[in-house]
Amino acid sequence: MKEVIAIIRMNAIQKTKRAVADLGFPSVTAEKVFGRGKQKGLHLFPPATINPEDGKGNGMRYIPKRMLTMVVPDENVEEVIEAIMETNRTGMIGDGRIFVCPVNDAIRIRTGERGEEAI
Amino acid sequence: MKMIRAIVRPEKVEEVVDRLADGGFVALTKLDVFGRGKQKGIQIGPTKYDELPKVMLMLVVEDGDVETVIDTVQESARTGSFGDGKIFLTEVEEAYTIRTGEKGI
Repeated sequence: MKEVIAIIRMNAIQKTKRAVADLGFPSVTAEKVFGRGKQKGLHLFPPATINPEDGKGNGMRYIPKRMLTMVVPDENVEEVIEAIMETNRTGMIGDGRIFVCPVNDAIRIRTGERGEEAI
Repeated sequence: MKMIRAIVRPEKVEEVVDRLADGGFVALTKLDVFGRGKQKGIQIGPTKYDELPKVMLMLVVEDGDVETVIDTVQESARTGSFGDGKIFLTEVEEAYTIRTGEKGI
């Protein structure tokens, strides 16, 4: 099992959920988070520059994002990543990032099932 | 790669973030969370606070940078009293940038 953590744009959540549900992975945890990437947030004056030196402290230090966490079996990781990347790619800075982490075990609380059946 | 999740005091967040940025770790995600530690919250007079507001900072760094980041967070988030927070370290196998599809951070 692998945990796929995708940090994506706020407005892309619905179509991302639909895309992964179409693959057969409807279960996700979504959270509203704040974050920034290599560009150190968003800078204004001159408008929408991405270089922190031009911004001189104006602008947003963090940008609102959505964090999508889902646990998928090993063999499906690649297709899930592909689906998330395709639905979220606009080609502009701020499309987000995907992390893949190992998961040791999963337990369904209602029945106590463990491992792959529980996800 | 490793994911570092640091749970720190809300008032210390900007200091920690600035210190990390000075060290070259600009990219991070922050979440507002509630939690408690070994002290089971805090009791002030008759009022018991079971869950205290904290901020979780999440950043993924290369293996070699882990110690630097942990030291930076520890130094900047420490006040010496209970509730300074915790740092958790987990493994990350892969990272992708969605815009380019590239692997790695």
